[in-house]
Amino acid sequence: MYDNDRVAPSVFRAPNPIFNVGNYNVQGPPSTGIRIDNINDVPTVILPRRFSECSRTDLVILISRMLTFLIQMNDSSSTSVLDSVTNLTKFHSKVPPGISVYNYLMRLTKYSSLDHCVLMTAVYYIDLVSSVYPTFTLNSLTVHRFLLAATTVASKGLCDSFCTNTHYAKVGGVHCSELNVLECELLRRINYRIIPRDDNIAWCNLEAQYRHFVIDTQDGDDWTSVLSNLSGNRNNSGYNVLDIYYNKIVQLVGSLKSTQDKSKLVNYTFANTPKPTNIHNNGSLNSNSSSSGDNDKVTTTCNDDINNKKSSDSGSNFNFVSNSQIKLEQRHTISRKRNLDTDIDEGRNESYGNDITGCENTLYNSDCGTSGNLNKRYFNRQKGSK
Amino acid sequence: MSSFSQFKQLEKLGNGTYATVYKGLNKTTGVYVALKEVKLDSEEGTPSTAIREISLMKELKHDNVVRLYDVIHTENKLTLVFEYMDNDLKKYMDSRIVGNNPQGLELNLVKYFQWQLMEGAAFCHENKILHRDLKPQNLLINNRGQLKLGDFGLARAFGIPVNTFSSEVVTLWYRAPDVLMGSRTYSTSIDMWSCGCILAEMVTGKPLFPGTNDEEQLRLIFDVMGTPNESTWPGVSSFPKFNPTFPQKLPKDLRSILQIYSKEPLDDTLIDLLHGLLQLNPDMRLSAKQALHHPWFAEYYQHP
Repeated sequence: MYDNDRVAPSVFRAPNPIFNVGNYNVQGPPSTGIRIDNINDVPTVILPRRFSECSRTDLVILISRMLTFLIQMNDSSSTSVLDSVTNLTKFHSKVPPGISVYNYLMRLTKYSSLDHCVLMTAVYYIDLVSSVYPTFTLNSLTVHRFLLAATTVASKGLCDSFCTNTHYAKVGGVHCSELNVLECELLRRINYRIIPRDDNIAWCNLEAQYRHFVIDTQDGDDWTSVLSNLSGNRNNSGYNVLDIYYNKIVQLVGSLKSTQDKSKLVNYTFANTPKPTNIHNNGSLNSNSSSSGDNDKVTTTCNDDINNKKSSDSGSNFNFVSNSQIKLEQRHTISRKRNLDTDIDEGRNESYGNDITGCENTLYNSDCGTSGNLNKRYFNRQKGSK
Repeated sequence: MSSFSQFKQLEKLGNGTYATVYKGLNKTTGVYVALKEVKLDSEEGTPSTAIREISLMKELKHDNVVRLYDVIHTENKLTLVFEYMDNDLKKYMDSRIVGNNPQGLELNLVKYFQWQLMEGAAFCHENKILHRDLKPQNLLINNRGQLKLGDFGLARAFGIPVNTFSSEVVTLWYRAPDVLMGSRTYSTSIDMWSCGCILAEMVTGKPLFPGTNDEEQLRLIFDVMGTPNESTWPGVSSFPKFNPTFPQKLPKDLRSILQIYSKEPLDDTLIDLLHGLLQLNPDMRLSAKQALHHPWFAEYYQHP
C-alpha cells in the first residue's frame, strides 16, 4: 500500500511552517470557504447526556474544539516559539504539523476505529500527564503526537479489539519505532495509571511525588495524611470521570461562537433538561490535593467565559475536573450494542463535508486500503491452547 | 522505583503467555520475587497484555491477588516484579496424580482454596475488574496454603462504556455457556462460572468440561447441566450462537458424577454451592460475594 515504507509519512514535518505560532492563527481551521452570514443558519445538534451514546463524529468535533481552545491558550502564553523549545518533550514536533487537529483526530478515529471511550480517555490523559509532568503542555507542537500516543495506549489498554502499533503509526504518520517510544514515554509518565477512574489523577500524583511505583496503604503512618482526601483503593472504582469531561466540553465549546475551530459549522447542546447540579458545582478544579506549584496555577473553571483567556496565567492544563467529590449518578448499564462503525461513516459526514478524504489525500496518495485492512487484533490467545 | 541490578536472577520458572518468568532475589531485602520479562516488540510496542496486567494489578492490593511490586524498564524489555509464589494449582494437582488416576484434593483444603479464590474474585469485582481467565494454572499457591489470583493479561476494567467486549476470552474448559454462545454483554458472572469449574476440578482432580472446541464444550456442559430453553433461561435463544437443534438433555445429578472421584463423601452444601456457580443463566449465577456467604463456608465466616 505504501510506496515507500521506510520514510514516515510527513504529517509532522510539514514542508512549510504554515501557521504562525501566535494568537488566533494557530491551528486555524482549514478554510471552509463558507462565510457565516447568519449564525442562525447553523444547525444545532441535541446531544445525549452520555458520551457513549454520542456519535463519534460529534465527539471528534467537540474534542477538536476543546483542544484548539487549549492550544490557543497555551501557544499564546508562551511569548515566542523559542520559549517552548526550552521545554522540549518527546511529543514535540519541530514545526506545527500541517494538518488541523480536527482532521488529524478524524483520521485516527476513522482509520484506527477508535472507540468512544478511547477518544474521551485521550482528553482525560491530557490532564493526567500535565499533572505529573509539568514540562508537558498541549500546544500546536505537541498535540498531534500526544493524540497518537494517547489513543494508542487507550485502545490497547481499554478495548478488546485493537490494532498493531505498526498500523497506528501508519495512520498517525510516524515511524512505528517512534510510536513505540511515545507509547513507552506516556505509560511511564503516568506510571501505567491508564484507567480513567475518579481518583486516578490524585493517585498518580501521589506516586509521582513519592517516586513509588505503587503506594502501599498498608505501610502505615506515612500515607495517612495524604490519603485522607482520597477514597481508599477499595472504593476507587468510579467511572464518572469521562462523562464529566464530556459534559464540560459540551458546555465550553458546544456552541460554534465559543470556538475558533470552525471545521464544522454546527452548534451542540443538551436537551433542555435540568442540568445535574453536581456538574456545575465545583468551582475548584485542581484535581490533586498534593501541592505542585505548576498545577495550582491552573484555575480554569467551567463557568469561565471562554474568551477570557487571561483567566489563567499558565493555561497549560486542561485541568477542569476530577475533583473526587464530583459524583454523577453511577452508571451501571453499559451500552455495547451500538454499531461501532456506522456513525463516523454514514449520514453526518455528508452534511458536514468530507474532511477525512481530504486530509487523507494530503497525507498519502495511496493508503486507501487502510480502512479496509484494519488488522484488528482480538484476544484469542487461548484458542485451542490449554 | 527499583533498578534491575537490585535483583539477582535465579532459575527459570516458566514461559507465560507473553513472557518468561524467572525466580529472583531482591538483594537489598533478601526477599524472593518472580521476575516476568516482557519483550518489547517492534511491531506491537508494549504488548497490550502487559499494559493491562500492569495497569490493573497495580491497583489490586489483596491477600488473594498476586502483588505487583514494580516495573523495570530496560532497553528492549520490561520486567514485572511480582510477589513470589511457590507453585500453581494446576501443577499442585498434577503432582498428586498416582499412576493414571487423578486425585482430588482433601475437602478441607478444597474449601480453603475455594474460599480464597472467592475472596480474590470478590475483590477484583468490587474494584470493577474482570479477570476473564480464571483456571488452575493462573491460581498461584505457596507453601503456607495461600492461594492468589495471577495472570491478569486478559483482564479488563468494566464500568467504562466500551463497545467491544470480546467473546474470545477465558480458556475453553472454563468458559461460561453464555460466552460460548457469543454473549458480549457478560460481566462478573463470566468469572464465577470458571470458579465453579475449578471447584469441581479440585474435588475430582480432573477438569469438569474438557472440550476441544466450542461446540463440544457446549455439548459437554449441556450433558451435565441440561440443555437450556426459553423457559429455563429466558432469552437464551437470542444468543448469536444459540442452536435450536442442540441435543436436548436433562440435568444430571452432579453429586453422583463427582462422588466417584472423591474419597470423602460430598455434602449437600458443597453440591448446592456448585449448582449456584454453575448456573447456565448468568443472571442466576452466584456472585463472589454471595458465594462467600454460602453455608459451605460457614466455618470461615462464623469464626473470623
